[in-house]
Amino acid sequence: MVIQCQNLLKIYFSGEELRALDGVSLSIQKGEFVSIMGPSGCGKSTLLNILGLLDEPTSGEYFLNGTPTAQMKDSVRSRVRRENIGFIFQSFNLMPRLSVVENIALPMRYSGMERKLILPRARELAQRVGLGKKMSNTPLQLSGGQCQRVACARALANSPGLILADEPTGNLDSKSSQDILELLQELNKEGLTIVMVTHDSKIAAGTHRTIHMKDGKIL
Amino acid sequence: MKFPDLVLTGWAEIRAHKMRSFLSFFAIAIGIATFFYTLSVLSQRRQYIQTAIDISGKGRFSTSTEHPLTLQQYADLQRLLPLGTSLSFVADWGYWRIAPSYKGRKISELNLAGILPSWKDVDFAYRLEGRFVNWQDVENKRRVAVVMSRPREKLFSSVWSTYGPKEENPPIPLDQLTYRNNLLNQQIQINTETFTVVGILHIPSLKEDPRLDNCRNFVSEILIPYTTWYDIQSTSNDYFTTDIRVVTGRESTAQSAAAQTISYLRAQFGTEEKPEIKFFNETVKIYKIAAYASLKKMLLLGLIAMIAGGIGIMNVTMAVIYSRTKEIGIRRALGATRWDILFQFLIEAMLLGLCGSAAGMLLGYVVLLHTAESSAQMTFSWWVIVLSILIGLLTSFLFALYPAWQAAKLKPVDALKYE
Repeated sequence: MVIQCQNLLKIYFSGEELRALDGVSLSIQKGEFVSIMGPSGCGKSTLLNILGLLDEPTSGEYFLNGTPTAQMKDSVRSRVRRENIGFIFQSFNLMPRLSVVENIALPMRYSGMERKLILPRARELAQRVGLGKKMSNTPLQLSGGQCQRVACARALANSPGLILADEPTGNLDSKSSQDILELLQELNKEGLTIVMVTHDSKIAAGTHRTIHMKDGKIL
Repeated sequence: MKFPDLVLTGWAEIRAHKMRSFLSFFAIAIGIATFFYTLSVLSQRRQYIQTAIDISGKGRFSTSTEHPLTLQQYADLQRLLPLGTSLSFVADWGYWRIAPSYKGRKISELNLAGILPSWKDVDFAYRLEGRFVNWQDVENKRRVAVVMSRPREKLFSSVWSTYGPKEENPPIPLDQLTYRNNLLNQQIQINTETFTVVGILHIPSLKEDPRLDNCRNFVSEILIPYTTWYDIQSTSNDYFTTDIRVVTGRESTAQSAAAQTISYLRAQFGTEEKPEIKFFNETVKIYKIAAYASLKKMLLLGLIAMIAGGIGIMNVTMAVIYSRTKEIGIRRALGATRWDILFQFLIEAMLLGLCGSAAGMLLGYVVLLHTAESSAQMTFSWWVIVLSILIGLLTSFLFALYPAWQAAKLKPVDALKYE
């Protein structure tokens, strides 16, 4: 079991109480490709942020690879994010001034990897996502689909076991969306566990399992 | 993130935001320029005082007596003082007591001093042409003279020749005489006696004189053997003094040597003899106080400039963090720890501090070049450079610490949501 959540609650206090997650329990097995669907504001992204240790639940238990995360110190959470989780965001979240290769290399820079190994690995990943000829380009010189490929390559940099993708096709045309889905399917076949938030039922149909959410609850 | 990567990241950000970087950099540079200038002047003054002490000798003091001292007394006193002590007697009078002349023309504005060869042991900053007074000259009361020659840069015009009574054939000041004539091996008249000039002492220029201000030659001198000086005095009943100059070579022996000298003088001339001892140490102390007092104000100005520079860095770093909040979120999502974020912003600010320090030192150097009082003051100590860089780095570090910590404290999820 890669992910196991029990009764996750996330409450925001902004004048009035807002329950972003309201008792979410969820298990995801190693090697699964799971999509999360639901209307805007239903808590999909909040759940993904908690699963990615970017945010903490107000209450509830979350076990990642069997380890409870509630008491983890910030430095441990950072290490786990660095070593075990790869993120793909809807808006790519690339560094606009860094080249494709440098963007892919970024997680490795934080991992303590030997410096001389970093760029060869980043180039290899760029090749892998089909950007071998765009390595020195900056994100501004790439199309949306290409940017998302860079983000995918970056997510793979430290060979994580889990990929969390928050609407990775949300900003892409259908062709690029299909390409990204195929890339994720390929990665999943290689053994990576993937959790993907999406609005697109066609994309969700390409995953093993779809979790539907509404009002902070799993339906 | 490894240190080289942090530096490269910081440098890339500095280059990407040139105007903002320039503002921080400029503020630090101004502060460092003030510090560098002040510290350089401080260092140069220290060095200057140290050189002055070195050529003056350690354990130096002087006193005087109103009695003439003989060579026998010189030998007695020398024996009482610690081994290696330089002892010198100097008898002098203003020129109005004597009537030196050269080729029939009176010479004015000079001191005529009777000296011993050991005169050379203290504050000898001169270039000697010819020879100096030696013991044979002293023992045989030879009519020989060593004349000081001043370079042509005298800042003060002669008071006497400007305001004194106008004469038919006015006396020529010694400095003017030596400008115009090389007196070496020439003859000068002192009273009715003829003296041969055996040596010229070239006084260093004001810029190159390593001696403390009050040890310099305000009036040029004609030096003759100590014994000869007494020999030609026709009015020896008048008031005069003999200076006794002692350099023991060690500060620790100065006090006891001074006590020995006083007791010797009392033994010779009675207990009413109350010689006043002037320790060179005290002179140096007073000089140091005066020399450093003005620097304190400048350091204060430098400090204010640095605080202004620091606030500039802080302000800019705060603005940077707001504009790069999303980036902080991305880096945190990719596994950067709080420390990584903290160091990233600190190193970026410190790089600016480093560049600002370098520019500030350059600016300070240019100011120094235009204001240096002497070439001796244009030497730089490594500690001034190191300290200036450290001040620049420390200021940027301290003032960037708060904003960098604010950045490090951001929750990844909140930073990522920031647009």
